[in-house]
Formats: sequence, C-alpha cells, structure tokens
Amino acid sequence: MSKTSYRFQKSQRTLMQQMFEAPAIGKMSPMAKILAYTLLGVWSFFVLFPIYWVVITSFKDMTTVNQGPFYIPFIDFQPTLEAWRSQFNEDPFCTVSAIGRQLWLLVYNSAVFVVSPVVALNPMEPQICKIYLAFTNSFVISIFSTGLCVLVGSMAAYALARIQYAPRFGNIMIFVLLLIIVIFATTYVGAPWWASSSVGLALFFFLLRALRGYFKMSLKNGDILFWIISQRILPPIVVVIPIYVMFQAVGMLDTHLALILLYAVANMPIVVWLMYDFFTNLPIELEESAQLDGATRLRVFWEIVLPLTRPGLAATTLLTLVLCWNEYLFAVFLATVKVQTMPIMVAAKNTGEKGILWWEMCAIIVVMIIPVIIMAILLTRFISKGVLMGAVKG
Amino acid sequence: MQGFDRQAAVRFENVEKSFGDVKVLRNFDLEVQPGEFVVLLGASGSGKTTALRILSGLEKPSGGQVYIDEENVTDVLPKYRDISMVFQSYALYPHKTVADNISFPLKVRGMAKSDMDAATLSAAKQVQIEDLLARYPRELSGGQRQRVALARAIIRQPSVFLMDEPLSNLDAKLRGHMRAQLKHMQKSMGITTIYVTHDQIEAMTLAHRVAILEKGVLQQLATPAEIYNNPANLFVAQFIGSPPMNVVHGSLNGGQFTTNGVAIQTSVTGQAVKAIMGVRPEDCSIASSTEGTLSGEIFTNELIGDHALVTVDWGNDQISVKAPKDFAGEQGDKVGVIIHRDSLFVFDESNGQRMR
Repeated sequence: MSKTSYRFQKSQRTLMQQMFEAPAIGKMSPMAKILAYTLLGVWSFFVLFPIYWVVITSFKDMTTVNQGPFYIPFIDFQPTLEAWRSQFNEDPFCTVSAIGRQLWLLVYNSAVFVVSPVVALNPMEPQICKIYLAFTNSFVISIFSTGLCVLVGSMAAYALARIQYAPRFGNIMIFVLLLIIVIFATTYVGAPWWASSSVGLALFFFLLRALRGYFKMSLKNGDILFWIISQRILPPIVVVIPIYVMFQAVGMLDTHLALILLYAVANMPIVVWLMYDFFTNLPIELEESAQLDGATRLRVFWEIVLPLTRPGLAATTLLTLVLCWNEYLFAVFLATVKVQTMPIMVAAKNTGEKGILWWEMCAIIVVMIIPVIIMAILLTRFISKGVLMGAVKG
Repeated sequence: MQGFDRQAAVRFENVEKSFGDVKVLRNFDLEVQPGEFVVLLGASGSGKTTALRILSGLEKPSGGQVYIDEENVTDVLPKYRDISMVFQSYALYPHKTVADNISFPLKVRGMAKSDMDAATLSAAKQVQIEDLLARYPRELSGGQRQRVALARAIIRQPSVFLMDEPLSNLDAKLRGHMRAQLKHMQKSMGITTIYVTHDQIEAMTLAHRVAILEKGVLQQLATPAEIYNNPANLFVAQFIGSPPMNVVHGSLNGGQFTTNGVAIQTSVTGQAVKAIMGVRPEDCSIASSTEGTLSGEIFTNELIGDHALVTVDWGNDQISVKAPKDFAGEQGDKVGVIIHRDSLFVFDESNGQRMR
C-alpha cells in the first residue's frame, strides 16, 4: 500500500481536516459555509433592523419614544395607533370617501386628458388629505420622470453604442458662441426670442457650411459619453439656485412638469452610462442580421435590442425610480405647496414646535417604503440571467 | 424544392477598404455569374469577410463600386439589396422561437400570418428542422442552430446568398454532412451564392469557382481544378493541397532547375538566380536509393490510412512523398525519390510568381 492511499478514506482524516475541505469541486467546505452564512446573517440583520425599527416606531407614542429604547412590541411597550391616526384620522380630508373621490378624479382626469379639448376636465378638490396628496405627487412624478428618463436615455445610449459620431470641436464652439450671443441679444438688447434664435440658428448653419473642413479636431463617442456623465460629477446643490431661477422665469415653480423634467434630466447620465454598457455587450451580428432581413433601425431597436436588454432596463428603471422617489433637494426648492412630495413630508416632521415627531415620521416612511418594495418585486422578475443564451456561437 | 426566379449577378469593381491605416482590401475585382457558387478562400485577415460585408452593405468601401445585376449598390442600404446572409455565429434571435426566427424576414415585410406559416414550414422542411419550430435557440445543438440560420436565410428567396464561415463552429463529422447538404441545396435552388471560408476542402468541394485572397489582394480566381492544377503563384500553390506542396530552393537556368547538386530538366523557360520548385507529394514516388531524381535519408514515415506520408531530407530542404500504405521504410533509411517532370511548378523567389 502506498503512503498516501489511506487519505482516500474519510475516516482516516482528522475532524479539523474535514472541516476545511470541500466535499466536492464546486461546493464549499463546512468551515467556509459557517463563515459565509454567519457573515450573511450579520449583514441581513444590519440591513433589516432599521426597517424593523421604523415599523415599530410608527406604533409608538411620545413617551415610549422618549423613555426608550424599546425593541419588542407588546412586551417592551404597548403599541398605539396614534401616529397613524394623526396622519389619517385627524386630517378632516383623510376619510376613505374623500380619498376615494380624489382617486376617482385622478383616474377620470387622466383618461379624459387625451380628449381634453372635447370633454372638460373635472377640477380637483382644493382641500386634500395631505399624505394622500404627497403620495400621489411622489408617485406621478417618479413614474413619469423615470419613464421619460429611461426612454430617452436608453435611446441615447444605443445611439452612442452603435453609431460613430465625430462632431468637429470648432463647430461646437461656434454653436456655444452663437448661443451666448442669442441669449445676450434677447435679455439685454431686447430682441424678441423667436427672432434672435432663428437668426442665430441660420447663422450657425451658414457658418457650418462656410467653414466646412476648416476644423480638424473632432470629438469621439467616448468624449460625448464622458460629457454626459460629467453632468453628474458636481453635486446638485451647485446648480439648484440657477435651476430655481430658470423655472421661476418660465413660471413653472410648484408644478409636476418642472419636477418631472428636472428628475429626468438629472438621472439621464446614470441611465445612459448603465445602458451603454448593456448595449455594447449585445452581439452586433444580431442587429446586422435583422438589418439585412429588412428591418428598419427603429424596428431593430424595439424588436431585437430592447427585449434582449430587458434585465438591464429593469435594473436601471428600478434605480432611477428609487432615486426619484427619494429626491429631496430639488423638491424642497421647486415644490412649495401643491406638488410637495413624500420626502418633504418626512422632513417636515422634525421642524415642529414639539421637537422631532419620530413616531409620525416613521408612519410616513412606512407608507413611503411599501410601493418601492412592490416595484422591486415586480421588476426583479425581469432581472434574470441567460437571456442571450443561444444567440451566437455553437 | 422550387428554383429561384431571380438569380443576380454580382460585380466588385476596384473595391478598396481600409480601417485607419490598415488596408484590408486592395483593387478587388470579382465577377460572379447568376446562379454561381463562388468561394472566397483565405487565411484570417486576408479581407475575405470584409469583401462579403461590403457586398451585404454592412460595411462601406473606401473606394470602388459594387454592382448587383447592373445596379450600382455601393451606397444602397443593406435592407434594399435583397441579400440574405448566414453569419459565422448564426446570430439567431435568442428571445424568439425557431419559427419566429425563421419567419422574421417575412414579418418585417408585413406578410400575412397564414402565408408566413406556410413559408416557415417549407423552409424548415428544406433543412429538416420542422419538428423544432416551437423551441428556443438555447435549446438547440450547434448543428440545429446552423440549420435555423440557413432556413432564415432562404425563406425570403433572396437574389444573392452570403455565407460567412457557416460551418466553422461545427464538429468535423457534422461539417462534412452540412457541406454536402449546402452543395445540394445550392444546386437545386440555383441561387447565386458567395461563401467565405478558410477551409480549403470546403472551397474545393463546394465552389464553381474559388477566389483566393491574401493580404487584401485577389491571388487567383478559377475553378477548383484549375487552382489545383495550375496555381498562379507560390502562395496559391502552398495554400491549396493537403499535405501542402513541397518547396525546394534553387536556381533556374535554361530550363534546368539546379538544387543541392541535382539538375532537373523542366519545361519552363527563363532565368532566375533564385527560384523555387514546387511539387505535390502525390506527384512524387519512392524508389530505391540508387534510382530516382534524388536520394536522401528518411526523416519520418507517417501512416495516414490509405497512404503513408514519407518525409525525406534533401540538402537544406525536405520533400514529402505520398507512398503506398504498406511502405515500410524506417527513419534514417536511404531512399530515392522520383519526381514526375510534368507535374513540376517553378516560381520566381523574388515575387512568388509562377514561371511558365
């Protein structure tokens, strides 16, 4: 018998050795398993505890919060519905029938909106349950800005992934220069905006033709991509005052549209950057084949590219949605009364005279978390692997 | 199987293509007759796939013109060229079933559902995959995917059929089977086909005419037999034939090729200080060491199956000979080699051109 053969028998090895060896290739050793699951358990606790804390705090009152910390309802403290009551019952407009009426008006108006010149929109009721208003505002703004952002952003990313652009640097400079002149002429000289901008545009095309071939240096797709992502390098606080002034000038403060557009623009770089990666990973033969088969570029995008990038699209949508849902800074500047969103409601709870109303804040946060969880569950079904299997290679 | 109504002729005129500073195609001229099967043969990087992509419209030539029939299609979009193509990677749509994959070209043309289903079934029958229609590409083997790609290419009856190394991802046995099937299909449908490959067996067996490319330059365009029997230059001579042609360095003077102290009378006229003699292994035979055009020691003796390949040292060169399978020479034995004079090729070493 050779010297090593006894080690084939499991019983011949010490317990310590058995703990540290994997039972088969592709499996973890018992020790590694213990370590991995312990770490995962600790991390799960770390992640889930704040959610648990928020939920139980929403069932506490002032005394239980201040004398706290109490961890387990019914044993440590007696849960009350006070925080929830103050959100719903004590607001006279927060009855089921009032919210039902509002909901019906919302659905009716959005359906009628399409044919609004023919059928009149019903006016929304002026007094609305506050939390309901904030929730619908957040909901409408998040959904529309995410939709817009993902639609435009993914198309831009696709174009950057598949078409080689080479704009001349000089031409861009001319455009910027003319833009400055047009703005100057409109604001200080007093030229009507339509006249100055059309003259500027005409001048731009004239100069483009006249100076054709004069500029040699050109930008590449990578530069354009970097320019887009660079919009996100500075924190939003830098631009929030100019943005406020801008929306003030066009009279769009405190409107849904302002926030929808702003969120769409602010999240566009993230969408473009993420989707660009998904599109470049798609085998180009699929699109070439579809083109040869006679499909238009738009058809290739909708029928071949989009279904195959669905996992990426779902992940990007979820991320954008959460970013819009949580956004505070822009909302606090642009939404003063009518379009206040959920984060502002939450923040408002620490500016009262009675100090920070943790229990009410937590009740609002619970309301805020629920739709995100639902959305995440719905979208993760699309985030699956192996969509591209069978596309290329034998 | 029905024949095709429209068989198009294809013409490349002086086509050039460069990517940056790299010229992948130079002065490329090629005329393909209606219904002809032309194979573009070359090593990787020879520009053969680029030529195919230029014809399909997926790539724009840097210079020159491309014609389909008498139409100049150089600037025409791919979808208007009435061309279908089988990609090396098959490029099946992974989210569509086999049936939807095959019928996609008809779907984008807005064909009625019932006509489409009938056409799909008939195309699938031609490549024997009619029982796989409900599956997804990921559930198919390599050979089955290949057939789906073929069916998708033939379903709309294009005027030109392009194939970019369609068999290179299959195993050897399946490749032979599909090759025969492709040849049969092309012949019975009579469709103009351009086929790109680096495999000389595929080229020789499938093509009406073979175009050999090297470094973006067309080396020779001729029938397989002509290419084999009458190579235009040293590159073609060495590229075609398995085992490859023997190459012996020497000089040519007044029809006499001199190398390693042996003078061989050839039918070639002309002078060259440095010349190369080429002879195929099957045109040589083994003799006893006292006979033959030359003699040398056996370097190695390999039994291939139906014959033995004997490599003999000859000065600085080696010469391989196809010997009968029962040849029993051992390494180091002295043997003679008979070279048949009529099957000699002589090339100018300075430019590789054939001397006649």
